Amino acid sequence: MATAEPTGIGFNVSARVRQGYDDFLRTFSNVLFAVCLFVVWGILTLLGVVIAQGKDGSTYFDLYAAPLARLIVRLGLDNVYHSTAYVGIIGLILLSLAVCTFKRVIPARLPALRPVKVEHLTLHDSFEVPDDPQTVKASVAAFFARRGFLVRKREFNGDEWTFADRHNWARRGVLVAHVGFVIIAAGTAIYWARGFSGDKAILTGQTASIPRTGAALTLRDFQYRIQPIQTKSGMVYQPVDYVSRVRVSGSSDPPHDAVIRVNHPIDVNGTLIYQSSYGFGMQFAVRQYGKPVGGLPPQTLKEGDALTLPQTTRQIQYAQFVPTIDKATGAATADPRISNPGVVLNVFDDGQPVGATLARLGKPVDLGGGFSIVPQRYVLYSGLQYRYDPGIPLVGIGAFVLLAGLCISFYLLPARFYVRVEIAPDGSRVGMAATTVKGSDIFAGEFAALTAALKESRA
Amino acid sequence: MSLDQVFLVISLSTYAVSALALVAYFFSRDSWLKNLAVPLVIVGCACQFAQLIARYELTHIWPLLNLYGSLSLFSAMSVAIFIFFAFRYRLWFAGGFVVALAAIFLAYGLTWNEGSLPPVPSLQSYWAKIHVPIVVSSYAAFMVASVISGIYLIKNYLGARPGRGQLWLNTIPSLAQLDVLTYRIVAVGLPLLTVGIITGAWWAKEAWGAYWQWDPKETAALSLWIFYAAYMHLHTRNAFRGTFSAWLGLLGFPLMLFVFLIVNIVIGGPGISLHSYKM
Ligand code: HEM
Repeated sequence: MATAEPTGIGFNVSARVRQGYDDFLRTFSNVLFAVCLFVVWGILTLLGVVIAQGKDGSTYFDLYAAPLARLIVRLGLDNVYHSTAYVGIIGLILLSLAVCTFKRVIPARLPALRPVKVEHLTLHDSFEVPDDPQTVKASVAAFFARRGFLVRKREFNGDEWTFADRHNWARRGVLVAHVGFVIIAAGTAIYWARGFSGDKAILTGQTASIPRTGAALTLRDFQYRIQPIQTKSGMVYQPVDYVSRVRVSGSSDPPHDAVIRVNHPIDVNGTLIYQSSYGFGMQFAVRQYGKPVGGLPPQTLKEGDALTLPQTTRQIQYAQFVPTIDKATGAATADPRISNPGVVLNVFDDGQPVGATLARLGKPVDLGGGFSIVPQRYVLYSGLQYRYDPGIPLVGIGAFVLLAGLCISFYLLPARFYVRVEIAPDGSRVGMAATTVKGSDIFAGEFAALTAALKESRA
Repeated sequence: MSLDQVFLVISLSTYAVSALALVAYFFSRDSWLKNLAVPLVIVGCACQFAQLIARYELTHIWPLLNLYGSLSLFSAMSVAIFIFFAFRYRLWFAGGFVVALAAIFLAYGLTWNEGSLPPVPSLQSYWAKIHVPIVVSSYAAFMVASVISGIYLIKNYLGARPGRGQLWLNTIPSLAQLDVLTYRIVAVGLPLLTVGIITGAWWAKEAWGAYWQWDPKETAALSLWIFYAAYMHLHTRNAFRGTFSAWLGLLGFPLMLFVFLIVNIVIGGPGISLHSYKM
């Protein structure tokens, strides 16, 4: 039967695809390529350490020279860890790891039992003994078996070789470490696909729903405790406890009260809710020529919120709560305990900052144009974080598998002895060599000790 | 003087004397210097751990959660890890440099001593007692590894220049042995750092809601992990063992210092890092 000849073009394409595929395998299975990927990963990670992440563009222009700030914003270095480059490099590492594991690690770490040219290996030795080869072979095998080696014999072209392996199973340590890393990556991917997280700042008395859980939290009360401590460099006001008392409704459990404190989250329908921060909401009264101004949002402002004066381009931002204003100087103090509170207000006109002021609670501040503002009443709010992460068990398992792989790879040194016993004029000649998965230097001392002990046992 | 201060003074003075004796031993190979220094190093290290315990007894606050505490532990662990390796692999010739560095870090740590400050709420967790010592121990192992790498490079440099120092050079273990030693010490540091990151992630999950927050301290530790993972991978190749590995081992030291100290002192502050000690 005639077979179709490949056309010139078709042959070229398939040869090129084949060549490209081989190049891909060669590159991705090369440890040096993996190290290059590690270097890029490491540099990107370090950039994220040095450059503050997740700030708004103007912050970088405040922090750095304009060309540098522009570079940071344009290259997405303000959000390195969620950039395509970062995710891409981890993807490439996983790909390289998979290719390498099948192409290189398994064949290299689990070599077939084959004869070697003993004197060509770095760790080798030979000696003669007066006994016949059969006796010597048996005692060599017994010598290694006694020391916990796995002893196997094979014949090649009529020559019998003895292979003695130490920690043979530990050759799979690298595989275990690599699999651990893949499992961690899978756990992280599950969170991206199915998890969610966010935060809520809930004012005392307010109810907030936790997205996707169907549950709502009412903050009954929030308390924090601050302890003043005299240190060598001055007074330090150390926060010692934050506690939110909440009522949980709408979850699969009947409505109930719960306490959330730092390090002690609560579980609502599988979503964990944590105490993360706190702050002060503020109610303001705005007047024009002494009369209350209508049309302003009635709600309590949180730090960072702003309101616009009606029929003006003027914005008043509630920048910061000041727990204690020094009565003598009128300046803010570092004492976070509330005794003479106030607020820092920033004033903007058409988006441009025109001034800032420190206003005491209950005292009006003149804003010009007949307007005045009074910070009236503060309300504590609790900063809560929620997170649903179904990938956690997998990440945990992956971490332990990775750790087990590291320990197996680093602390157990698989070594293989190749022993060949030949007839010699006065008995037998024993030729032996050894290899390990980490080169010969690491085993030189033990090799010398073992060969010396073997010689002694035959003497 | 309180009991912890007494221990501190003993450690610092024994480290100073033994570092001098061991550096002299490095150059002279007079064994009496080693015989004098070894017991002093052991006493100094024991006193440092005793000092940490005494400080806990006095304040009932774990002496780990500020820079003074972690630097004291770092210095004690560097010496403890070194003692272990020195006995196992006859490493005393390198002791002067390790002990001198440990003493410098301990003295520097003292400048951060603010007295007894209770930890902020997120640090009030039993994880602090597990995570911090493990991470600090990994840093200590990397420091010892970098000292051995430094000695490798000195020997390699001088060995290539025949001269009067050759006899002395021969008393230092071979380059191959120094390379293997560095590898073995990194092989202690990297799993410790891995456990440190895992326990930190576990703790973060309890304290801040997510096991990984991309906080500067976390990501800095990750970069150190990546660095040593790259070291280990390069070390699987014959061509990269030796001088190249030694340069990497040495480079690990400034990177470790960056991760341990610079991130806390310069980069991370309240509002930037959840790991700030200055809160
Ligand atoms: C971040 C993920 C990785 C981890 C945790 C990891 C872990 C390990 C460990 C512990 C070893 C043993 C080192 C030793 O015995 O001293 C090793 C060896 C090795 N790894 Fe990885 N590895 C990772 C990524 C990769 C990647 C992406 C590749 C792809 C090329 C790779 C290829 C290798 C090779 C070829 C060896 C040496 C095998 C041999 O020749 O014996 N690894 N890895």
